[in-house]
Amino acid sequence: MTTIEQVEAAPAQRVARQPRRRRPKFKDTWWRHAVGILALLFALFPAAYIISASFSSDATLTGARLIPRHITLDNFRTLFKTNVSGSSSQASAHYVHWLINTIIVATAVAILSVLLSAFAAYAFSRFRFRGRRMGMLALLLIQMFPQLLLVVAIYLIVLKTGDVFKVLGLNHLTALIVVYLGGAMGVNTWLMKGFFDTIPKELDESARVDGATPAQVFWGVVLPLAAPVLAVIALISFVGTVNEFILASAILQTPDHFTLGVGMQAYIDQKYAEHWGPFAAGVLIAAVPVVLLFVFLQRYIVSGLTAGSVKG
Amino acid sequence: MRAIAFFSGTVGFAVKIGLLAVTNAIAVWAATVLISKSNWIALVVLIAATVGIDLIYLSKRAYPAKFLVPGTVFLLAFQVAPILYTINVAFDKYATGHVSSKHDAIEAIKQNSLSENASGTAYTMAPAHAASGKLVLVLVDQDTNKPYVGTPEGLKPLPAGSVKVNSDGEVTSANGYPLVKGNELFTLDKALSNYTVPVGKGAIRPQGLDTAVVLQQTLRYDPRTDTFTRLKDGVVFRDNGKGSFAAASGEQIEPGWRTKIGFANFDRLIHDPLVRSPFLRVLIWTIVFAAVTVFSSFFLGLFLAIALDKKGMRFRRLYRSVLVIPYAMPALLTILVWSGLLNDKYGVVNHIFHVHVPWLFDANVAKLSVILVSVWLTFPYFFLVSMGALQSIPAELYEAARVDGGAGWQVFRRVTLPLLFVAVAPLMIASFAFNFNNFNNIYLLTGGGPTASDSSVAGSTDILISYTYKVALVTGKGQDFGLASAITIIIFLIVATISAISFSRTRALENLA
Repeated sequence: MTTIEQVEAAPAQRVARQPRRRRPKFKDTWWRHAVGILALLFALFPAAYIISASFSSDATLTGARLIPRHITLDNFRTLFKTNVSGSSSQASAHYVHWLINTIIVATAVAILSVLLSAFAAYAFSRFRFRGRRMGMLALLLIQMFPQLLLVVAIYLIVLKTGDVFKVLGLNHLTALIVVYLGGAMGVNTWLMKGFFDTIPKELDESARVDGATPAQVFWGVVLPLAAPVLAVIALISFVGTVNEFILASAILQTPDHFTLGVGMQAYIDQKYAEHWGPFAAGVLIAAVPVVLLFVFLQRYIVSGLTAGSVKG
Repeated sequence: MRAIAFFSGTVGFAVKIGLLAVTNAIAVWAATVLISKSNWIALVVLIAATVGIDLIYLSKRAYPAKFLVPGTVFLLAFQVAPILYTINVAFDKYATGHVSSKHDAIEAIKQNSLSENASGTAYTMAPAHAASGKLVLVLVDQDTNKPYVGTPEGLKPLPAGSVKVNSDGEVTSANGYPLVKGNELFTLDKALSNYTVPVGKGAIRPQGLDTAVVLQQTLRYDPRTDTFTRLKDGVVFRDNGKGSFAAASGEQIEPGWRTKIGFANFDRLIHDPLVRSPFLRVLIWTIVFAAVTVFSSFFLGLFLAIALDKKGMRFRRLYRSVLVIPYAMPALLTILVWSGLLNDKYGVVNHIFHVHVPWLFDANVAKLSVILVSVWLTFPYFFLVSMGALQSIPAELYEAARVDGGAGWQVFRRVTLPLLFVAVAPLMIASFAFNFNNFNNIYLLTGGGPTASDSSVAGSTDILISYTYKVALVTGKGQDFGLASAITIIIFLIVATISAISFSRTRALENLA
């Protein structure tokens, strides 16, 4: 909590201390604007082409111009109406499937992983027990072994569990979700414990004196106070899940079970000439909500990120 | 405080009991499945875990355990178990041609070593049923016309005339052995291809549905000495301790088997030139890629922060919010977009600049391209971070430097940069560790390609993680799980070292208190 408050508070103090200066003259700032415009061009160039290609009737990459001659929604129609076939399978799948699969997986992982790591962080922050130090060090060590390094082992394990429990086998979204949850605790627990430590212990002690159990303190005191931070971590975890490719492509096998990234990769792979227009439309639909969320929550996300995690 | 009331007393208790009941119900169902599959080890683990969970949640104490169990279950199953498995495999010979047990390999070699003898006998054949209902082969020697019945136990002569053969050379009937006919015949395809009638030093094997030939063994296995002997020249093949039967000359028999070979996989990375040179090339490129990405992004981000975060400047907020867009867009998708934009035939980049640069298909240009894209993805992060860090440097320090007569550049080098580094260094180390394993950036952009001059699995832009992925999972040049796991462990050691440095700098460990 303090991290965010500090970040918010710091600029405010500064403004209050200094009298408002006059706007600098253009003569002094022109080079800054030149740099800014170049930077904007570099940053926006792919995005601009995606927007233009998705509304252009001229869907091929070669004919792509920044301002399309005819603005049409044909690419979106193609994306939603026709079945786009996957890379290798006979089955064909729909962009909407990929979108829904991604939302299911990413939402489930975001919520459950935050809950699981919040439980663990609460235990590490509020209880003193045998093995606590060892447990935290073990988490630190385990977290250095990112799951993407373990793709072969995870693939073989999922193959085996699938023999016994179908829903935890290859090509099932549930299998992908539980695999991601396996990586959840290592990544977020330390971060959250840091936040929980900043919530005054007196609050839960007074609740305990009033007869609350630790579970009640967790749900009633700590969780509501940490809610904004947990929401940001959930969002980061959501975006991280959307961006995950290697495990999803190893576990999901048929196009109708693909997530967005795996599906779009199969769709555009070696077919830049034919599929560029609908592909651009698909990227646009997926990117807009994420970018908007990011811009609105920028301040919170940045403070969360600088606290030690790097977006995937 | 409403939540406390909600979770107090009966409701909270009911929720807890409900969740426990569901967990136990799933466990009971899972147990029945495991019993039906006779998977006893998994059953024991399941029972132990379920009983443990019940005890923890029904006890009045054990509060920390109650909060740690849910995450730990997933952590153990999908993070710790894969780590242990990977460590285990790293010490195995486990690759294409070395997947099964030694016993299976010996059987496979025995089967494979049967070859057709030049003077071998050929039989007209018909699958039939014995009185017991078992599948047998009715055989007629094509030279002598003598009839036999062949079973996995051996060859038995039948009375002359008991088997009738028509003018097309097909068996039409056999006394006491009803022939398999019609559709059933085709369902036997697999059973027939594995059917072996041992005779002397070889065996009679069906060739298709109506003929069989005598195959001679070229290798003989001696279980007492655990060796194969090649009958032609008497060369002896011994278990070489690395999952193969090998002769003194080094010649090996395929297939081998999966076995423990100690540090041999790691040894290959150091001593086998075919493995060492691509590995070293990839290792160096991985470090270069991660380091150049982080430093370029940092300096670009810092430069932009200094240039654009000027108080009172027009459009300051606009620059700030638009420049984070590359960072905000889902990286997975933007990398795919870049692979389209940089496509040499259809790509927009070549189109606007009227050039024909093979952005992704020339070894050196492709290296530049992957760095360009990763800088594009990373610089907004350092732009944001630098802005924050610059604002947090106390203005008094600048004033002091100015009083001491420092000029602009000098103040920047002696005051700003060192202070900035203190704040940003841990983030740069984290970013380095992230880019060290930035699989998407490489695999989705170039697929690790183009093919390198030494034509190994490792392409010119492959980093360790994508190289490992190819060694383990991409077929074509043979999969090698053992070697891939050994490289995985090396990556882990590198990343762990980097993280250890980072943690000691940020003193995150003080949190342990």
